[in-house]
Amino acid sequence: MFSYLIRRLLYTPLIIFGVMLLTFVLFSVLQKPETMARTVLGKRATPKTVQDWLHTRGYDKPTFLATGPKKPGQAGEGMFDTIFFNEMRKLATFNLGVSDVTGRELKEVFQQGAIPSLLLTLPAYVAGFLMAVGFALFLVFVRKSALDTAGVFACVGLMSVPPMVYIIFGQAVIALSFNYFPAFGYEMRSWSSIRFLLLPVALMIVINLGSEVRLYRAVFLEEIGQDYVRTAQAKGVSSVRLLLVHVLKNGMIALITYVVAQLPLLILGSLLVENFFGIPGLGNLLTSAIQTNDFAVIRATTFLTAILYIIGLTITDILYAVADPRIRLS
Amino acid sequence: MLPLCRATALAAAGLLLFAGCNNNPQQKPLHEKRPDGSPWTVYYWTIPDEIRSLDPQFMYEEVSNRILEPIQDTLLEYELMETKPYRVGPCLLEKVPQPVQNSDGTVTYHCALKPGVLYHDDPCFPGGEGREVVASDVEYAFQRLSDPVVQSPFFSNLSDYVIGMQEAYDAAKKAGGKLNYDTMKVSGIEVLDAHHFDLKLSKPYPQIIYWMALHCTTPVAREGVEFYDGLPHADGPKGRIKVRDKFAFHPVGNGAFQLVEWVRGQRFRLVRNERYHTKVFPTGGWPPEREAVCRPLAGHALPLADEVQITVFREFLPQWLLMRQGYLDNFDAYKDSVNSIVTSIKALSPKWAARGMKLSTSTWVSTFYMSFNMQDPLVGGNRKLRQAISCSYDPRGFIDLLYGGAAPVAEQLLSPGIPGYDPNFKNPYGFNLEKARRLIAEAGYPDGRDPNTGRPLEITLDGVATGAEERQLMEYMQRQIEQCGVKVNVIENTFARSDEKQDQGNFQLLTGTGWGADYPDPENYFFLFYSKNFPPAGKNVSRYKNAEFDALFEKMATMENTPERMKIIKRMNDILVEDAPIVLEFNKANFMVSQPWAPRIHSNMLLDGRAIKYQPVDPVMRARLQPSWNRQPMWPIYSAVAALAAILGYGIVLNRKRNV
Repeated sequence: MFSYLIRRLLYTPLIIFGVMLLTFVLFSVLQKPETMARTVLGKRATPKTVQDWLHTRGYDKPTFLATGPKKPGQAGEGMFDTIFFNEMRKLATFNLGVSDVTGRELKEVFQQGAIPSLLLTLPAYVAGFLMAVGFALFLVFVRKSALDTAGVFACVGLMSVPPMVYIIFGQAVIALSFNYFPAFGYEMRSWSSIRFLLLPVALMIVINLGSEVRLYRAVFLEEIGQDYVRTAQAKGVSSVRLLLVHVLKNGMIALITYVVAQLPLLILGSLLVENFFGIPGLGNLLTSAIQTNDFAVIRATTFLTAILYIIGLTITDILYAVADPRIRLS
Repeated sequence: MLPLCRATALAAAGLLLFAGCNNNPQQKPLHEKRPDGSPWTVYYWTIPDEIRSLDPQFMYEEVSNRILEPIQDTLLEYELMETKPYRVGPCLLEKVPQPVQNSDGTVTYHCALKPGVLYHDDPCFPGGEGREVVASDVEYAFQRLSDPVVQSPFFSNLSDYVIGMQEAYDAAKKAGGKLNYDTMKVSGIEVLDAHHFDLKLSKPYPQIIYWMALHCTTPVAREGVEFYDGLPHADGPKGRIKVRDKFAFHPVGNGAFQLVEWVRGQRFRLVRNERYHTKVFPTGGWPPEREAVCRPLAGHALPLADEVQITVFREFLPQWLLMRQGYLDNFDAYKDSVNSIVTSIKALSPKWAARGMKLSTSTWVSTFYMSFNMQDPLVGGNRKLRQAISCSYDPRGFIDLLYGGAAPVAEQLLSPGIPGYDPNFKNPYGFNLEKARRLIAEAGYPDGRDPNTGRPLEITLDGVATGAEERQLMEYMQRQIEQCGVKVNVIENTFARSDEKQDQGNFQLLTGTGWGADYPDPENYFFLFYSKNFPPAGKNVSRYKNAEFDALFEKMATMENTPERMKIIKRMNDILVEDAPIVLEFNKANFMVSQPWAPRIHSNMLLDGRAIKYQPVDPVMRARLQPSWNRQPMWPIYSAVAALAAILGYGIVLNRKRNV
């Protein structure tokens, strides 16, 4: 396993390099630094003002590689003094830089955004997992009945509805028609502030519930067909105890891979839910950055996401090997 | 029975949670009552995105304006009730300065600041107490405009006229790129005493008074800029090191409101400046339909509200929901939202009107159009062809798609409210299919076909299309223009590519072009067709060149609004319409829905954030109506709990029967 980990660690910079290269290619096709400068400086900006803005941020240099003879007025010294390599150098030392639009330190912005994101995603993750396991066990409890079929059908229904519909339903019906929760907003001052999170957390649970229940149900159904279950039944173990102790415990091994991989990504929050509920997390930050062409924020977010994703997958692999002795990482 | 007991306990916990829930998302006001016992008034407003900067000399976009304007007054300000045409009046200055022509061709404006105007209290001042606004603060503002470090987008415009700005900029560049505020003065600003200064221009430029109504020329306290440097200082409790805000995020203003709370990306809280007496509520000129609301407020001290809470909303839906619950005081209806709020006869839907909500429609000072490339051999060299295309396009459908039919069709380049705008003028090349077919034949393409090939003439239409809605709009344009027989090839571009094409002149017909006026002067529109303003440096996207138009522009640009100037404007409009370098589309419109307790009292689209100080709010009416709009029914909770219990019970029964 140790050699596997070392190899995985060695792959990491290459994967991140690839991800960042792709991000730069996409962004340089869609949005040139000049366009970004014009957006920030407004319609009155002259070419000179734009040039000054680009120069201050090093965006007047070539994008990827400075090949060929240097043209008069072209910024940058040497082949690698380009936007891509300069920004990659900074990111490699975790220097996230400042926002292109607001000029704020991104380290501070990310630190502030991570808390609201976690307050939204962590409860949704934990409660969602517990609820999905509970519903899946219930469906196994009534397996091969009309109720089971109806439950699976409902899960497929839940999976088929786009997340936006849940958000609109939540806001228009639960927040507006029933007036149970605020339709928008966020604060963390006292316990009563929790009211801002109840609806978005509930919606996030429902958005993922269908697929999770179906997956967990399949895992538990596989377990319930095992010999040890039959033995337990023969010994007179009640069906509730059978499910909650024997099946759940053995089924959990298979669920670890699915659940743990998501863990590091929780910090990034949710693009849609945060935006619609005005929760100032990292998802909201990224949406705003995309809308305002803030390349610095997009760059830093992509970088962090790639790292977190790799961490998540590595942890999953390790846990999988630990939980199931038949798996050997090599 | 155990699971049922658990379910009941859970349901009870849920009910308790719901019972404690309050759906009001707004912050608790700072106070409930004023010192005199009357209710504390709060105005709830929105902005569509996080702001970029509150530095008056750098910031130039609408969203940031909404926050900066209530905080920071300008030298002059648009008169609230005067929109036909718009007119500037005094604000920090005692009166609108008049130009004095000097013998050497330069022009001087003698300016007098109102005495006793104070900056907001702030730690940057000795003792934390805001000092008086003085003339040297105006000088400092002009120095900041010329400082390369500030990167002011206003510099290039103002330095063409204000003496000494370019020299100060050059000196700063020579000295390493930073202006020395003690030695590098802008010679065009002469401080006479604490309240008087002269502004000297190298040539006549009557539009300078509009620049005085923009934030770039507003006086700034040097203490504030130097104090809020974004660096660590021993300011924290017990002398701990704390990083100060940058000035761009910590304005030190002198306006009707002071910024007291800013949660980044979320909300702002402004509170009344108790020492504000720069402006009072207008004592006349109210529109007849608003007179009943305005008359009792005449001469009233400003601001009318005690507190303003501004929330950042990036999506329309939650805004409208909060409006319906009474937690927002007004709502800008736009695009899709218009159709759900406004009836086909452009009135507020009866459901909302019954609540006492009011709808007001205003027109932005803007004109949108498609631009022909006048350097293109086909469309640029054939006036009749351009006229034919202009006649075949009906902007009404576009307006219906985009603005729910609210925006007026643009008949001329100038938008309503600009001196020289003629409300009776009809574009002779507006939508008229019969005329379009005649003109296309006269252009040498009968039925839109090229006589040499016998095939339809092909024209490319460039535009920015990154989403389904934009594609739908471009397809509409394509269908419209093809009515005269030509074939239109649509090219969908990204923003970047479209900008590039504008700069290079690489298009035949380009959509999405237009202008929102910086200030209400015809010069600010006609410069878009002045031949010395070709892109990338200028905004003449059509690359239109007409010697007579140029000569008239040069003449009218420096004139006051005299009858002679109006004649020139009329002639310029006629030339432009006849040459048809553009296909006129619409003037952007604004639908605003207001709550009964916060009526809209003006339609001045140039004031925006500055108008908040005139906004009346009736907190008693709000307190009466709001609860009745937010009742919490209990039946959905009971139904949900009953359904869950039933499913659970049925499941248990099923399991027992099977004994598995």
